[in-house]
Amino acid sequence: MTLSPSSSRQIEILRQGSGAYHPVDPDGFRHYVREHKNRALQPRLMTAREAVDRFVADGDYLTYECNYLMRGPNAVFHELIRQEKKDLWIAGKFTYVDVALLVDAGCASKIDCGFFLSAPAVERALKEGRLQVYEYSNVIMTLRIQAGAMGLPFLPVRSFGGTTGFDHSGAKLISDPYTGDPITIVPALNPDVAIIHAHQADIYGNARIFGTGISDVEAALASRKVIVSAEEIVDTEEIRRNPGATSIPYYAVDAVVSSPFGSYPGTCPGYYGSDPEGVFEVFRAVMGNGVPAYLDKWVRPFETFEDMLEQQVGQAKLDAMRANEVLKEGYSA
Amino acid sequence: MTRAEAFSDREVAMCQVARLVENGRTYWAAGGGTPLYSVLLGKKLYAPDAQYITEDGVIAPEPMLPFEPMMTMVASRAVYRALAWGTMNSAGIHAQLGYMDYGVLNTLQVDQHGNINSTFLGEYGGSGRRFGGPGGADTIAACCWRTILITDQERRKFVREVDFISSPGFLDGTPGARERAGLPEGTGPWRVVTPWAMYDYAPRRLRLIARVPWVTVDEILAECEWKPLVADEVQVLEPPTEEELQLLRTELDVRGQTTDAAGSWITWDGEKYIRA
Repeated sequence: MTLSPSSSRQIEILRQGSGAYHPVDPDGFRHYVREHKNRALQPRLMTAREAVDRFVADGDYLTYECNYLMRGPNAVFHELIRQEKKDLWIAGKFTYVDVALLVDAGCASKIDCGFFLSAPAVERALKEGRLQVYEYSNVIMTLRIQAGAMGLPFLPVRSFGGTTGFDHSGAKLISDPYTGDPITIVPALNPDVAIIHAHQADIYGNARIFGTGISDVEAALASRKVIVSAEEIVDTEEIRRNPGATSIPYYAVDAVVSSPFGSYPGTCPGYYGSDPEGVFEVFRAVMGNGVPAYLDKWVRPFETFEDMLEQQVGQAKLDAMRANEVLKEGYSA
Repeated sequence: MTRAEAFSDREVAMCQVARLVENGRTYWAAGGGTPLYSVLLGKKLYAPDAQYITEDGVIAPEPMLPFEPMMTMVASRAVYRALAWGTMNSAGIHAQLGYMDYGVLNTLQVDQHGNINSTFLGEYGGSGRRFGGPGGADTIAACCWRTILITDQERRKFVREVDFISSPGFLDGTPGARERAGLPEGTGPWRVVTPWAMYDYAPRRLRLIARVPWVTVDEILAECEWKPLVADEVQVLEPPTEEELQLLRTELDVRGQTTDAAGSWITWDGEKYIRA
């Protein structure tokens, strides 16, 4: 084994994709944090309406965690549609019916694709040129967010090389200056805004997420503006009682939204199971041409998500969803 | 083990994959559907010490079956009694480190070198049809030591060259093509399983090694756009057993989600199996 550095090795770009990507600017991100992220322990509890109004702008790059059926931040998600946000660029990792909802509602114009449900609304938008897709994969997207969460400009990854998606992405294949072998690098992703649904949060944004997830913590750290909705608002003393259970620290969070049953019709694991009827309804709407009717029934007529739960779902069904969730182990601190 | 007398095409494929599952190995099962059901079937019947992960980073769960509709990941029943809960990045990184022996995937289209298309049929950006994209399959196909691919035996799915490589097989089939693309050394496709047949790679090119009793080699080859290699001796696969089907139908695919979508039924007429 040699101890001398392999100084003669050069970094060469062997191949690169031609896809546009969200600008990479780690120093810009640091300056943003310095200027705009509140490091004081001050309350940031607000309504979904206020959070979306203040922190989501037309044209933003948006990431949301899990999807519409699994611990989705659906109260905030509905508000994006209600406020008719435009031209969002979506981090399409582990997404499902939600992309079709955003696209058909006219909210999204670009997707970085890991996976989304390929629905008629999405196909139509593609054919009509209202939607641009850039190709990645689920893990490549979460690793891009990981790079963003580390304050780095890019990350070397062991997958994605050799694919056609690579050619339609922001990835590059380079010669690794340490081993000399080819390695793929992908651009860091620092979304403009992240929306995340947590089990618990205090009024400052210290948030606890239980169970598995996709990239909640990475997305919170990588994003300029972060909206956390939570099933329960807990005392900060409760957070301090078990600091190891904190998933997201307050200073990454701009808005906390109290949002019981905020993942309806999906599940918030350990708190309530999904509503199979509601799940099938959104799936059928998306796979048919029923998105406008779906939004007219479930989103647009209501001032708030809570109003929708109260008037359209009803307490009896919510109670049943809660009762149906018999598995509790691991879903508390 | 009782030979079953009536089953569907896709049940056949899942049972064949289940029999490949080995004790002491780790499996990354893609999404829900056939890969996850196959691994669970194998673990419950043949290899109790096989462990699996899914894209949400769960490690070695003992799920409470059946799953609720479309809730094969993240949901509490799906991740019940796991040894660890993680994230998509932990799953991807563990595969990147070499901890995943097998990846199990399904797909729209596969080519002679095991490349997988789940993104676009037709000329990309042209008038073809868009699909959902690779999801986690790209990382599974890149980083697990061996990948098992489940697909249907149809000419339009078994093509010479896929329209779009969503997840990598042996790429252009030349030695070292994966490594030159930056993928981990020594990884790659291992088996393709269809309702009719099983293939390996000899080397880096699909080779038919086994068939079910109710189809001939010629019938299989007629459902490939190009002619794959054929092993000197093509083995005959055992049909599904009653035990396998009972588990599949009563605990795993209880809504027929993976079995009603395509294919036909196979029945025993007293002397032989026939396709309906």
